[in-house]
Amino acid sequence: MRPLYIIMCKGLATVSMLLLSLCAYGQDNKEVLHSSMIGVGWSNILDTYLSPYNYTGTDLRIQRETMRMTTLWNGRVSNQSLIDVNGAINENHAGNIDEYAGGIRYSQGWFYNFNEGNVVNPVSKWNIAAGLAASGYLGVVYIDRSGNNPAQAKADLMIDASAMATYDMVIARHHYLWRYQVSVPIMGIAFSPNYGQSYYETFTLGNSDHNVLFAYPGNMPSMRHKLTLDIPIRRYTLRVGYVAQFNQSTFNHLKYHQYSHNFMIGFNKYLYRR
Amino acid sequence: MKNILSLLILISSLLAFHSCVQEEDYDNSKQGNFEALWKVMDEHYCFFDYKQQELGVDWDEVHTRYATKVNEKMNNAQLFEVLCNMLAELKDGHVNLSAPFDFGRNWSFYEDYPENYNDSIAKLYLGHNYQIASGLKYITLDDNIGYVRCETFDEGIGDGNVSVMLQSLASCNGLIIDIRGNGGGQLTKAQTLASHFTNEKLLVGYVSHKTGKGRNDLSTPEAIYLDPASDGIRWQKPVVVLTNRAVYSAANDFVKCMKQCPHATIMGAPTGGGSGMPFNSELPNGWSVRYSAVIFYDAQMRHTEFGISPDIPLSMSGADIAEKKDTYIEKAREYLLNSK
Repeated sequence: MRPLYIIMCKGLATVSMLLLSLCAYGQDNKEVLHSSMIGVGWSNILDTYLSPYNYTGTDLRIQRETMRMTTLWNGRVSNQSLIDVNGAINENHAGNIDEYAGGIRYSQGWFYNFNEGNVVNPVSKWNIAAGLAASGYLGVVYIDRSGNNPAQAKADLMIDASAMATYDMVIARHHYLWRYQVSVPIMGIAFSPNYGQSYYETFTLGNSDHNVLFAYPGNMPSMRHKLTLDIPIRRYTLRVGYVAQFNQSTFNHLKYHQYSHNFMIGFNKYLYRR
Repeated sequence: MKNILSLLILISSLLAFHSCVQEEDYDNSKQGNFEALWKVMDEHYCFFDYKQQELGVDWDEVHTRYATKVNEKMNNAQLFEVLCNMLAELKDGHVNLSAPFDFGRNWSFYEDYPENYNDSIAKLYLGHNYQIASGLKYITLDDNIGYVRCETFDEGIGDGNVSVMLQSLASCNGLIIDIRGNGGGQLTKAQTLASHFTNEKLLVGYVSHKTGKGRNDLSTPEAIYLDPASDGIRWQKPVVVLTNRAVYSAANDFVKCMKQCPHATIMGAPTGGGSGMPFNSELPNGWSVRYSAVIFYDAQMRHTEFGISPDIPLSMSGADIAEKKDTYIEKAREYLLNSK
């Protein structure tokens, strides 16, 4: 590895850690929204380290989100904390080999709210917010067969560009809140074995060969979309939604994609302290 | 409204910027499966250069020759036969095709050679009172030579097992490790056993993997060292390793390591080789293919894909077999007793 490359990786890691440590800074905890959702959907995974073919099946997802306003920028900056856990059970198109995949992503984001209201407590009809998030992912894809390449580890530490919009739909004096969010990883570091490198070399012998890579949309063109509808039911708020994730990479001539579409359901908990 | 428009423009531009990461769609015809197998090997197999040098295998020429043998009227068994014949050109025991009805292989590395091992005779040396430490069968022979039978490296051999065994054989004047017929297993287990026969960190070989789809896209070889066992007993007396052509893969690597150990002597027939670490892939019809993906060289940066020569060549004597004696074990005992 070149020294410049090492500096770049270390720099990005430091910036990401700083962003993560900022999560407690400037929070006023007056307007807080907790949301927990669980979902099921469709999964499609390609990982050419393991197989040249797509594996498809069922995807399960759990998300825990906390949104709160901060005192930053005259109180126009909101903070989003998101834990996203997913697992998939797939099989090849011949139906004779199973694949199991799973991972956890944790992200902390800061959004500038363009409107008088905000995405946490949307008093306006429309609210728009955009910002940056630091996110980290750890996961694995395992194919149920013997051999020296049955599994592939996944890890990245990224800075994501993210934007969200809310729309307050009023029907019979009830407020139904639509929210859409898109996140795109723009820069960071990611792990990948080299094209034909074995995990024996990486972990037993401790050899590295371009295993920590600078990631950007050119080699990691990924997107995550989330659309939710909050439905008030007496004192509670039901949240239903759709999450689509398109995680892709082309590191060391290895192609990878993990597409998932999940229909989600859960509850919100609002905390307003005026 | 202006903000919303800006957001929509931003999202649209992000969507336009992203492209799908995909592989070519599969073709599950007979020809499609043939092409898929040829391509998997073409892009991932690590020994093309070496096999061209040693066997004259030209993978493009192989494609031309075998493509004409595939047609859509053939049944699965016929297709399987053609594909296995194509893979057999590489003469690699780590190259296999698995279908629900058969396992395609080329085991000529030992099937074309004398076996140099008779199980029923070897069992006479072990008798009935031998001990077993995680698959390692061991006993002290009547001339105070320790005899260890290691049939596989698939067992969970650990430092504790090896130490218990060596402690039990500590009073012996020498040790025989008989790995004839050992077809391999886990590389780390082979190295665990070998680590009890050195007091120094030893250079035992080099490793290189594919870095791209090109047939010669290989990484710069990295040195592999054998560290002395940090836990338990290390053997300080002479040791003989008995080999035949059926010693393959991780067992071949064990011999490669033992070659560097100061008190070790390799006796017998050349090993079968198998110095590529196998990876797995698959075909559109679901058949599994295994291929050598990572090259392991010896300490002199030589290939051991076709085997390692012994220090002292041996072959089983017909007269010894008639007397129910194992030439290998008898010669090893003689050697160890003379080297006291």
